[in-house]
Amino acid sequence: MTEPVIMVSNLTKFYGDFKALDKVSFQVDKGRVYGYLGPNGAGKTTTIRTLLGLLKPSQGEVQIAGIAPTKNPVQALQTVGYAPELPTLQDFFTGAQLLDFMGKMFGLDSQARKESIKQLLDLVGLKEWGNKKIGKYSKGMVQRLSVASALINDPLVLIMDEPTIGMDPEATAHFRNLFANLSKEGKTVFISSHLLDEVQRICTHIGMINKGRMIFDGAITQVLEAFTQQWVIEAELEKATKTVISALRKLDYVEDVKVEGNKLRIELKEKKDLRGEISSEIFKRKGVLLSLNLRKITLEDAYLSALKGGQ
Amino acid sequence: MAKKKFFVLVLLVLVLQVGLFVLFYYFFTNPPPGFMIIGPALEELKGSMWLVGVLGPQSLFIPIIAIIIAGGSMSEEYERGTADILLSKPVTKIEYMTGKFVGGLSLLGFVIALTTTLGVALAYGFFGPQESIQIAPAIYLVLLYANLLFFSMTFMFSEVLRRTTLSMLASIGILVASTFIGGILSTMYLISGEQLYVEISKWLPNWSASNLPSFVASELITALESPFISLPGGDIQLAAAIIAVYTIASILIATLKLVKSDVTKKTD
Repeated sequence: MTEPVIMVSNLTKFYGDFKALDKVSFQVDKGRVYGYLGPNGAGKTTTIRTLLGLLKPSQGEVQIAGIAPTKNPVQALQTVGYAPELPTLQDFFTGAQLLDFMGKMFGLDSQARKESIKQLLDLVGLKEWGNKKIGKYSKGMVQRLSVASALINDPLVLIMDEPTIGMDPEATAHFRNLFANLSKEGKTVFISSHLLDEVQRICTHIGMINKGRMIFDGAITQVLEAFTQQWVIEAELEKATKTVISALRKLDYVEDVKVEGNKLRIELKEKKDLRGEISSEIFKRKGVLLSLNLRKITLEDAYLSALKGGQ
Repeated sequence: MAKKKFFVLVLLVLVLQVGLFVLFYYFFTNPPPGFMIIGPALEELKGSMWLVGVLGPQSLFIPIIAIIIAGGSMSEEYERGTADILLSKPVTKIEYMTGKFVGGLSLLGFVIALTTTLGVALAYGFFGPQESIQIAPAIYLVLLYANLLFFSMTFMFSEVLRRTTLSMLASIGILVASTFIGGILSTMYLISGEQLYVEISKWLPNWSASNLPSFVASELITALESPFISLPGGDIQLAAAIIAVYTIASILIATLKLVKSDVTKKTD
């Protein structure tokens, strides 16, 4: 049985008269990597800050491991690691000093802090920079250190706001693997990001929010299915003859065929992989097929479709 | 806190302290025509110059340093976004605020210790042996207590307004306004002889903060077996009570604001 580690129920948040969140509900089960998506101003950061007890819900409730952070922050946040978007870290500290300070806030003893600092600096690729002032770090390095500081208490829940922003592609790939490994260790990872490709690679489940309202919550496979309007087969022929095009258009399961040179975009009426039938029809009409692909919907397609439809 | 500005200000205070002693030294050795301090009076003055060095900066500079330290203590964490990082750790808001208050007060205590030590050292350097220096630690503690008023008030503004510049301006405004109003009330008392004006002026924040150290110094000196100088005294208990009232009220308001409201998002 799955065990919800993050629980958000009917969460509503007003800033004065402005409703930033409107009855948002979702839950994240243990060991999942959950992507939280939405355009700027959708309410992602408000949700995260409420989860951390920094904001009080106007209505509804949030819980981390069954504890409300606004009511009992010490207990609720003991098992949480948080890395904010483009953090401003205390630049008078060195990287190691900052991790030590954060470790003290979690009540870690001196020996535990010493060991964790060494491991974490190594893990985020800042081994050589541990004794240098944070003021000398690049944006990407600050971001890495922020992720390291979120891991200092060996958290059960890791909440990250745009964690790979400012990182180079190599570091991004490194952190993608890190998050996947943390999930394998049973940690729950909650990532707010606008990098849809990254979310699709890392996350198993996602939540989509727009204008303060939850428009989707579930597995990535479900969202792709839910927002796939039409299946499309892309074919490239040696020569796209009128005979082939006209024959394809007459097929019962084909909605339309769009032609661009020798490339065909065959839009299907059904959500089925009909590449076999299409290729047979092309061969029957003496067409020479160079390539045939079923164009799968990406998370980006689904996301844009969801925002457009306001579903 | 704007670290550079703070260090420059502390340095300026120290330089002014040195300047003050140079001026006094020049005055004593080259008195202006028609102004002669001779014999025991001069020796009495020279032996008590450490008090000038210790109490001098209290008149204006130490309260301003207290305002600068407290002004950014809460608000800068909001402005920089570090409040989010710190308060997302397993600490209560009260623990967080206590840490900020004690940290700021410790820094202020260090600055006052610096000006006190320098005041005493300069007095020895320029004017030779000083009288009854044993009361200096007590004066130091009273200075720290007196400065709690503007420190706490600015700390409260720093939490309530959550803007460093605004909170400093609010406190400096109160410091200047209460000095100005105090002057008007004194003038009105001199004209009318009405005691009420004096009583009202005592409740202005700068009266107790600036007068308590000298009141206590006067009391301590009088209590010595051989008082070396006579200073005008005043109502120590009232001044101490007024400081306590302002301090407690400020801390309560800051606590209520912090506990009851959301953590403000990064504004820088």
